[in-house]
Amino acid sequence: MNEDELLGAHRQELRRGTVVLACLLALRTPGYGYGLLKTLEGSGIPSDANTIYPLLRRLEERGLLASEWNVEDSRPRKFYRTSDAGSALADQLMRDMTALTASLHILNGGTIE
Amino acid sequence: MTSLTERYLAATLRGLPESKRVDVERELRSSIADAVADRLEAGADRAAAEIAVLEGLGDPARLASEYAGRPNYLIGPELFEPYRLLLTRLAGVVIPLAAIIVATLAVAAGASLIEAILEGLGGAFMVGIQLVFWVTLLFVFIERADAARDARAEIAQGRWTVAHLPVPAPDRVTVGETIGELVTLLITIGGLLVLRELAWVRDAAGVPLPILEPSLGTLWLPVLIGLLIGLAALHVIVHVNGRWTLPFAAVYAVTNGAFALTFIGLAINGMLVNPAFAAAIGFPQAAEGDSIVMVAVAATATVVTAFEILSVLRRARRTQAARPVGNLGATSTV
Repeated sequence: MNEDELLGAHRQELRRGTVVLACLLALRTPGYGYGLLKTLEGSGIPSDANTIYPLLRRLEERGLLASEWNVEDSRPRKFYRTSDAGSALADQLMRDMTALTASLHILNGGTIE
Repeated sequence: MTSLTERYLAATLRGLPESKRVDVERELRSSIADAVADRLEAGADRAAAEIAVLEGLGDPARLASEYAGRPNYLIGPELFEPYRLLLTRLAGVVIPLAAIIVATLAVAAGASLIEAILEGLGGAFMVGIQLVFWVTLLFVFIERADAARDARAEIAQGRWTVAHLPVPAPDRVTVGETIGELVTLLITIGGLLVLRELAWVRDAAGVPLPILEPSLGTLWLPVLIGLLIGLAALHVIVHVNGRWTLPFAAVYAVTNGAFALTFIGLAINGMLVNPAFAAAIGFPQAAEGDSIVMVAVAATATVVTAFEILSVLRRARRTQAARPVGNLGATSTV
């Protein structure tokens, strides 16, 4: 693997580890498939459509998201919203993420409080 | 919607179970439309936008797999190691066995040596393919079938403990080992000589009939005994050296192999047993090269020799792997 491929592969690993949390956090405000893609991209976590769309469905199957069809606009859209279970999980994962980032900072040469 | 999107949707839905199709179709259709609309706003033309969106979504078959939650591998990482171990160990035993059995049966049916070997290889190949297929199928089933969930968990989570570590065989050649080998060789040599001389069966005229074909005494018996003496000497040398090394293992393979080939050659050419003896005890076929008895003798000798050579080679490889510098054949100083 050359350098670019190596970097790309590791970046993908990082993204894979955080995409679920990102979705759960973003969907505390109800959103639909394509809209969520834009939201994630806008906040600096670009993701592929063919990852997100099936993921939303799987999270719904596990009860972390709730969905309902919105037929008001010109186009019917399926809206997802983070369920209570999903929100609780997101809080826990967010705490873990913060702790993880702090640890990484320390390893990177920061000071131990 | 133009036909490209329709075709894409159809291709994706094909890979999905009936229950999910309606909802996925609705949602995917609207997502594609949203993405196309976005690109149109940015100034692209409709055809190019549609193509870009669909190609961004990628292979509909893969998309369907993601939607369906199917694993995109046959045997997953947790089950792969047990699968690999089982397959290699089974194959290592079953395939050579199949080759030998088929070749043996071919000889018993009257085939020449070359034909028998070819049949043996063919049989080994067929058995091998069946083995790989059924073992793989079993593990694919365990990996993917809901019904096999418990089996999967048990196999995948078998905790490794230090009890599973392979016990290292002593590298050094011990006195007991060497004496054991020498005694075995002595008994073999003695046995051959005895079989040539001793005769408890006599023919009608009272002439003693030894078991071993008498004519062997001129050439082949000395050759066999010579090879056995050579092996004995090799064992002594290896004992002095302390370990089996690759050159020693090679010499062992050649000598033991020569002994086995000679012995087998004599057996299947009907030159081993004294035909007068065989006739006198009522088993004339025992002296014939293609009788079941001789074929069994040949097969057994093959298997035993193969195991002996393999185990010596394995020890030599272990010795070499443990050495930091390739000091082959030199006296060990540990």
